[in-house]
Amino acid sequence: MMERLAKLESLSQRWLYLATILLLMVPFLVRIPMPPRGQAVMAAKGVYDTIEACPPDKVVMIDSSWDMGSRAENRAQLECVVRHLCRRRIRFVVTSMVTPFAPDFAARVIEPIAKKAGYVYGRDWVNTGFIQVGGNIGAIIDGMCKDFHKIRPTDWKGVPASKLPLLQKVRTINDIHMVYCITYSPAEQWISFVKGQYDTPVAFGCMSIMGPWYYTYLDSGQLCGMLLGNRGAAEYEALLGHPSTGTRLIGVASFGNCIIIAAAFLGNLGAWAARRARRKA
Amino acid sequence: MSQNPLTLWVGAIVTLAVFSYLAKDNAVYRLVQQAALGASVGIGVVIAWQQVLYPNWWSQIAEAWAGTKPPIQYLWLLALIPGSLWYFQFSRRWFWLSTLVSALFIGAAAGLAFKDQMLLMMPQISGSLKPLNPFAGPGGFTWSYFGTCVSNLIFLVALLTTLMYFFFSLRTENRLVRVSMRAGRIMLMIALGAMFGNTVMTRMAYLIERIQFLYEDWFLGLLMA
Repeated sequence: MMERLAKLESLSQRWLYLATILLLMVPFLVRIPMPPRGQAVMAAKGVYDTIEACPPDKVVMIDSSWDMGSRAENRAQLECVVRHLCRRRIRFVVTSMVTPFAPDFAARVIEPIAKKAGYVYGRDWVNTGFIQVGGNIGAIIDGMCKDFHKIRPTDWKGVPASKLPLLQKVRTINDIHMVYCITYSPAEQWISFVKGQYDTPVAFGCMSIMGPWYYTYLDSGQLCGMLLGNRGAAEYEALLGHPSTGTRLIGVASFGNCIIIAAAFLGNLGAWAARRARRKA
Repeated sequence: MSQNPLTLWVGAIVTLAVFSYLAKDNAVYRLVQQAALGASVGIGVVIAWQQVLYPNWWSQIAEAWAGTKPPIQYLWLLALIPGSLWYFQFSRRWFWLSTLVSALFIGAAAGLAFKDQMLLMMPQISGSLKPLNPFAGPGGFTWSYFGTCVSNLIFLVALLTTLMYFFFSLRTENRLVRVSMRAGRIMLMIALGAMFGNTVMTRMAYLIERIQFLYEDWFLGLLMA
């Protein structure tokens, strides 16, 4: 028994990779009920409450700056918030920075939800496309707050702002109720220029890895809320009462975490057995 | 996300080729890696023209040429001068020309960065001053407010001890300083542990997303359909 356990220490990592991939397929084959906690944490509720408080004459700006690289978590974060906006009949404008592929990824998530909700493109929502920020995202955000049309004169298909009724109403930051930025690691300049200068609420949707970095801004009230990874999306879906992508993916992730804990336990057991065997020899 | 069979097949083959690296570094993996890099640069150039340069710059000049906008829009052509100066970085002799434009950009960026940091950090400093007296709550003493004060005290201890850890100019013979520094190191380790836990979550999310694509979109959606 001890000899077998000792072999775990020298087990090739390839077997571990293979086992992880195969085991992660189990929740897709067999539905394992791993519901999120019923009570959403403050971070997700902050985003939810800010959207709930949106007056009818204002719009929400979504900066959807993600592509394939962070789709694993950012997709669910966009999906649940857009679903909430459509439910509340709040109009929204979508911008994209960081990656030029982002407008297409955003459109693929938003279009089916908006269509189902009866939203009309140009009147109820607009995808303004990619904004080249270079190395100075602060200047772009500051410029957008002062004159949105100067930074984005057209939408992502090249239609001028003058032909899009919604963009006619969005000229400065005063027309925007809240900015929700979704990307791998949202730029802090959103906080300094939008919240710091104009006191417009800012919320982030970021990858789990970035969570500890942004919690300080949540604690100081500079962020009104944050969706952290798929967990944040699942919590938001619980608030909406509409379980979807986030809930599903966090269930699989919970199963994956169990695999990692089991692997760490077995690895330590193997190391212990190998050390014991060496002492005996 | 996309139901185009060709897209699904390419996505699945590329995903499997990348996964093959887990077994061993191989030519197929390297080919896919180089192709992804090349494709993203190529597509990026096209999108930069379509969504940035064309609407913001070229259309202004073209419309002035067509007479739909005033001739002053021709001034946009002047943007070519600072833009071209960047390329002198490739010449040893004319390198100094590129420094003119880079100095301009660094100056503007430094000014903005100062404003940015002030707006970002000042609320952080004021946010660090938290109430500690459980009897000074809005409704007097409540257990909920007591819990908040305990949380605030932990925050304050973590803040001070972590700062202490980074004061390298302090003499460490003092027992209080030594204990504080050690506590600061423990706080840092707890924070780094939380970061590592979140890193695992993110990597796991990546893997799950790919498995979901392979199983649901490619295997069930295409092969079993």
